[in-house]
Parts: sequence; C-alpha cells; structure tokens
Amino acid sequence: MLRFIQILSYGLLNGALYGLVALGLSLVFGVMNYLMIAHGGLIMMAAYITFWAFFYTHIDPFLFILVVTPLFFIIGWILFKILFQSLMKFPEGEKIKNSLLISFGLLLIFSNLAILFWTADERAVTTVYSGKVLDLFGVRLPYIGLGGVAIAIIVIIALHLFLTRTYFGKAIRAVSLDHEAATLMGINVNKVCLVAFSIGFALAGIPGVITSLHAFNPAISFDLTNKALIVLILAGVGSIKGVLIGGFFLGAIEAAGVYLVGTPYREVFGLILFVLILMFRPQGIAGKKA
Amino acid sequence: MKKLVLIVGIVICFALVPLVITKAYVLNLIILICLYTILSHSWNILGGYTGQISLGHSTFFGIGALIFRYLWTLGIPPYFALCGASISSLVLASIIGFPSFKLKGHYFAIGTLALSMIAIVTVQNIFPGVSFPPPQHLAKYNLVPIYYMALTVAVITIGLVSFLNRSKLGLAFVAIREEEDAAEAIGINTFKYKVISMTLSTLIAGLGGGLFSFYVASYYYYVPFELGWSFDPVLIASIGGAGTVAGPVLGSIVFVILKELFAISLGQMNVLIFGIVFIFTVLFLPKGLIGIIGMVQGVRKSQDVSAKKR
Repeated sequence: MLRFIQILSYGLLNGALYGLVALGLSLVFGVMNYLMIAHGGLIMMAAYITFWAFFYTHIDPFLFILVVTPLFFIIGWILFKILFQSLMKFPEGEKIKNSLLISFGLLLIFSNLAILFWTADERAVTTVYSGKVLDLFGVRLPYIGLGGVAIAIIVIIALHLFLTRTYFGKAIRAVSLDHEAATLMGINVNKVCLVAFSIGFALAGIPGVITSLHAFNPAISFDLTNKALIVLILAGVGSIKGVLIGGFFLGAIEAAGVYLVGTPYREVFGLILFVLILMFRPQGIAGKKA
Repeated sequence: MKKLVLIVGIVICFALVPLVITKAYVLNLIILICLYTILSHSWNILGGYTGQISLGHSTFFGIGALIFRYLWTLGIPPYFALCGASISSLVLASIIGFPSFKLKGHYFAIGTLALSMIAIVTVQNIFPGVSFPPPQHLAKYNLVPIYYMALTVAVITIGLVSFLNRSKLGLAFVAIREEEDAAEAIGINTFKYKVISMTLSTLIAGLGGGLFSFYVASYYYYVPFELGWSFDPVLIASIGGAGTVAGPVLGSIVFVILKELFAISLGQMNVLIFGIVFIFTVLFLPKGLIGIIGMVQGVRKSQDVSAKKR
C-alpha cells in the first residue's frame, strides 16, 4: 500500500510538471489553432539555458524563471513576426498542417542546436537541495517536485486570472472563439495573436527551468510535446483550469500503469487513455460539451 | 496515347539502369527515391486527396516491415511476403485506423500521432533486439533485385494514384477534403470514402515497409516505427505539392538529393540546415514545387478540378 502511495505521489508531482508543459501549447492552440509541436523543443532549450547559466553563476535555478520567461517572450515575438504571422490567413485545415510542418522544422533546428552546443549527453542542474526529500509518514517527496507543484499552481492561477479578469485577457478569449467576430468588435486580432503566441513561448520557459533540475537531454523534446498534447486533449482545448487537472490525471494514470505493469509501459498507458478520450469525449474531461 | 508511350518509355529506361550503371551509389539513390515516393504517395492519398492529415503512417510502414521480415525469414518468396506485409497493415488499420475517423480535423492529426507513439513504445518493449534477414540472402546481398522491387512498387503506386486522379473516386476524395459537410449534403457517403482512402493508403504504406525491410539488411526492430516515417511523407508531399500525382515524386527526388548534399557538405549541421530549408518551402511555396510549374504554365490545378466538377 505504501508503495502504491509512493508511486502515486511521484505521479502527481510529475503531473504538475505535465500541466505546466501543456499550458503554453494549450494557449496557442486554443487562440490560433496552431499546433506548435516545437513546444517541447522550446522547453528543452530553456532547460539548457538554465543549466548553462547555473554553471557560470551558481544562482538558485528557480530564480532563472525571472530571466528565461521574458527572454522566451521576446523569441516568441520575433518568431511569430517571421514565421507564423503569414499563416493566419489560411483556413483551419491548412493552418494546422502548415503550423505543424513549420514547428516540426523548428523542432529539428532546436534539437540540433542543442546537440551542437551542449552535446547529446544527459545533464542535470545539481543544487544543494537536489535529492533531498520530505518524509511524510513514510512517503518520500522530493523538494524539487514540491517546488514544481507550487509553481505550476501559481502560474496556472495567474494565467487564469489574466484571461478572465483583465481587458486584454478578455480580448484573447474573444479571438479564440471567433476571429471575424472579434475583428468586428474592434479587436486588433493580429496584435492579440502576437501577444498570445509570445505568452505561449514565455510559458515554455517555466517548465524548462524545472526540467533542468531533473535529468534531461536533447531527445526529451518530443517526449515533452507528446505529454503536452495528451494533457491538452484531457483538459479540453482552450481550458486553462483543465490543464492542471489534466496534468494531475495523466500523472496519476501513469503511476497506476507503473504500479500495475511496470515502468516500460508508462508512456503507453497515457497514450491509450489519450486515444480513448479523443474517441469518446473529444471536449476533454474538464471541458463543456461542444 | 502519346503520354502512355512516354510513361512506358521512362519505366523501361529505369528498368535498364542496373544493366548500364553498376555503381551501387546511384542504385541506392534511386531505391531511396522510390521508397520515399511510395511512402509519400501513401500519405498523399489520405492527406493530399482526402484531406485527413495523418501522422500515424509510421505505424503502418513499421508493421509492413515487421511482417515482411517475419514472412521472409520463414522462407516465403519476397514478393509474396510483400503482399502479406501490405495486407497486415490493412488489418492493423481496420483495428485501430478506422475508429480514428470518429475524430475530425485537427483531432485526427493528434490522434494518429498518438497511435504512432504507442506503436513505437510497444515495439521497443516487445522486440528490443536487432532484426536480421535470412542468412542465405545476406551471403549474396545484391542491390539489383531490391532495385526492381522498388521500381515495381513505385510504378504500381504512381499508377494507382494517377488512376485515382481521373476517377470518380478521386473526385469524391477531393470533395471530402474541400468541405466535408457539403460533400455529405450532395450525397457522398463520407465515411465510406474515407475508409476506402485509408485502405488504399495503408496498403501502400505496408508495401513501403516491406520494401524497407528488403532493402535495409539489419536494423533495430523499432527503426521503421520511428516518428520520422510519419513526418517525412508530410514534408515530401508538401515540398512537391500535395494532392497531385507528380508532386510527391518530385518531392522525393528533391528530398533525397538535398539530404545527400547536406550530409556530404555540412556534416553535423545537416539536419539544422534541412530544417531551415524546409520551413522556407512551407512558407513560400504553399502549393509546393509543382505550384511553380503550374504558375509558369498558367494552368492552375484548382481550376482544373473545379472545371471537372461541373
């Protein structure tokens, strides 16, 4: 029983990270229908930047969130202007296909840049509290994981408040519902998309910093994208609150898979769940009926 | 008639190549171009004509390779094993592929991507080892029979797609791609035609997988399941021009040659540059290379199709 609780709590700690990973993808997909499969690549890059900055400065990696996030916001801004703005005029099907292809190209570029700069070796940021655990009635919880959960909850609540309570957030939600109607209401759709896309990029920086505290290598980018897509579907497209629930749910399901079958099939469990949800409840577990 | 003679002439020319050129490098290049043509046409039927963006083709490709290797090591002649491979991927498609048509639009793309990821993880766990061809084949490994098999399958594939391009079936596919609801409204049974499209597509993907397994001597079992086999056909069809007969062929030629050039001249950087070139093709050539030819001739494929509809 204790073993099950231990595995489950690890699963939930991972789940918070999955939620964070999916957040940017979900925002971009919800607002613009762009399938940014390069999102995992961005997170991997953020992890390497954190690793590299920590190597030189030895400042606490969690503080790098304050640096990496604005940096990625700017990168997102530039890439949108160069690559993604021209896609906005396409109909939905073309948009998905083209954004998929472009972001696949980006993914190739990111993973090769990472191999070029930092080689394909597995790396991790090692801080003084790495490997330290909190012992709670025999269940061991690593401090890094707990920090991840705290950050995930804060970021998701902050984004939710931004989208529901501010004027600009309202504009973003209007654009995600209907581009034309939003234009007619006097919303500058181009600008809203630009900002939403850049926020999506910035949101890749935060899980990147947390990822850097675990072991990572250039090959994780696809794995992360995969997790993000599963959470996106579990949560329901465009649902921000659902992302956290979806992340925890995926973590718990994977933990159950590890407990019942073993670690090698961990991914398969999540993916089968994903296909089932797609088939029978495409609006997601937390989403409303479309 | 003139066109038919031309095509037969080209095929005969290619069939004579191994008699004239004995350089293994050239044969390898042509085999690779054939392999990618087959795979990207397989995607093209479903993605280019019917408009269902599938990212799960590595599953069908991989199962074809797996079954081909199995049947071949049992002693079944390669061409029969190839048929078996093709049918096996159809069987797999009917189990996992057809239900995925419940998914519409972008959900179909994400769902099929998940299928290919499930496939690769499962195969990695069940068959961790390296697959070897039958020893008697390895003893006298020769590119010529592989070359002929590649050519045969490629000709069959291109023939099938060009037949499709002229038939009522192809028009039904295009109608579904353009507007699924409208197609349904004018009396096209969209589910039936999507299933037909998937059937043709997976049969060809299985052939491609079998060819891969015949060509590459020994590989890890999971290699034909790698996600690259799902993305490369999308890429090739987009470079050449999706929804056309010549597009994927042109795309495969460009793809294989560019890859070779970059690998030779740039080494480690090659995938990086490839990614950049690829992005710019998508951005500036939305209709693919075939679109440039269309623009030069002043004949637009879309006008052609709409004229046919009336």
